[in-house]
Amino acid sequence: MTLSGCPREREVLDLLARGHWPQACSTDLRAHVDDCRSCAEQILLTEAFQHARAEASSAANLTSPAVLWWRAQLRRRNEAVERVGRPILGAQIFALFVMLAMAIVCVASQARHGQRWMAWFAAMQPSEPLHIQALWPSGLLSSGWNLMILIPVLATVVLLGGALVYLASEKQ
Amino acid sequence: MSWESILPNVFAGDAPRVAERPMDSDAFAGFYERSARPLWAYLARVSGDQALADDLMQESYVRYLSAAGPTPALDGGEVAARRYLFRIATNLLRDHWRRPKQASIEEIPEEFFAAASNSAQSDSRAILGPALAQLRPRDRQILWLAHAEGYSHREIAEITGLASPSIRLLLFRARRKIARLLKLKQITQRSDA
Repeated sequence: MTLSGCPREREVLDLLARGHWPQACSTDLRAHVDDCRSCAEQILLTEAFQHARAEASSAANLTSPAVLWWRAQLRRRNEAVERVGRPILGAQIFALFVMLAMAIVCVASQARHGQRWMAWFAAMQPSEPLHIQALWPSGLLSSGWNLMILIPVLATVVLLGGALVYLASEKQ
Repeated sequence: MSWESILPNVFAGDAPRVAERPMDSDAFAGFYERSARPLWAYLARVSGDQALADDLMQESYVRYLSAAGPTPALDGGEVAARRYLFRIATNLLRDHWRRPKQASIEEIPEEFFAAASNSAQSDSRAILGPALAQLRPRDRQILWLAHAEGYSHREIAEITGLASPSIRLLLFRARRKIARLLKLKQITQRSDA
C-alpha cells in the first residue's frame, strides 16, 4: 500500500457513495478488493463511518432554526451597538482629559493668588473687630475677577466630571 | 421599527454586503434542516460528547449567520456554505480542546454515563467509538470528513486549515491506524461470540 493509494480506489468509493457496493459491482472488482489492502480498508472504513453518520444523525436533537436566527440577529445587533459606542467612549475619555488639563491649568494660575490669601490671613490681627470688609482680602479687591472665574470653572469641572462618571458607569 | 433603521449608519461600511445577503429566515430554515444533522453527527462523534455537540452546533450556526464577511452561501452555493459551516465547527472544536479542562463530576450530563453503559447496543458505536477514541482529535476530524462526509483532500484542507499535501499524509496514517483497530475489534468480537 502506497501513499497514493490504489488506482481503483476511486471506483470503489463511487460505488460505495451510490450504495452499489457489493451487489451492483463487477466480479472483477470484487476479486480486486479481496486482494487489495487499500481498497479493502476503504470499504471497511467508509461503511463503518457511513453507518455511524446515519445513526448519529437520527439521534440529533435539533433546536428550532428560528431560535438560532433570533440569537444571530441579537448578536449582530449587539456588535453593531458596540461598534457605534466605541467612538463615543473615545470622545468621553478625550473630554475627561481636556477637563483635567483645564483644571490643572486653572489651579496653577490661581496658586499665586493663594499666596496672597495666606499673606492676608497672616496679616489679620485676632484683636481687631471682625467686620465683613475685613474678610474681603485686599488682594482680591485689586483683582476681584479671579475668584469670580475660579469658582464657576471649578463648579463646571466638578459637574461635568460627575456627569462623565455617571455616563461611564451607565454604559457598563 | 427595526434596529437597522434606528442605527442607520452602523453598516455604512458594508451596506452593499448586507443588501446582497440573500439568506432570509426561511432560506436559513431550509439550509438548517438539510445540514444540521450531519454537522451534529460530526461534532458528536469527533468530540464524543453529545451535550458539547449541541452547544457547538448552535454556536456554529449563530457564528455562520452573524459572520462579518460575506458568507459562502452568497457566491458558492450550499456546498460551499456547508463547508464553511464545518470549518466554523472545526475551529470551535479546536478551541474547546485547547481550553483547560475544568469540568467537575456534577457538570457531566447523565446521558454521558447512559451512553457509555449502553454502548454495546449499537454495532457502529461499539466498534467505531472505541477505535475513534484511541486516535488524536485531528485524526478523528480528518477521518470523519473524508469517510462520513466524503470530502476531498482539498476540501478537508480548507475546513481544517491544514495544507492539502499534509492531509494526504495524515489521512493515510490515520486510516491505517483505525483500520488496524477496527480489524482487531472485529476479531475480538468474533472470538467472544
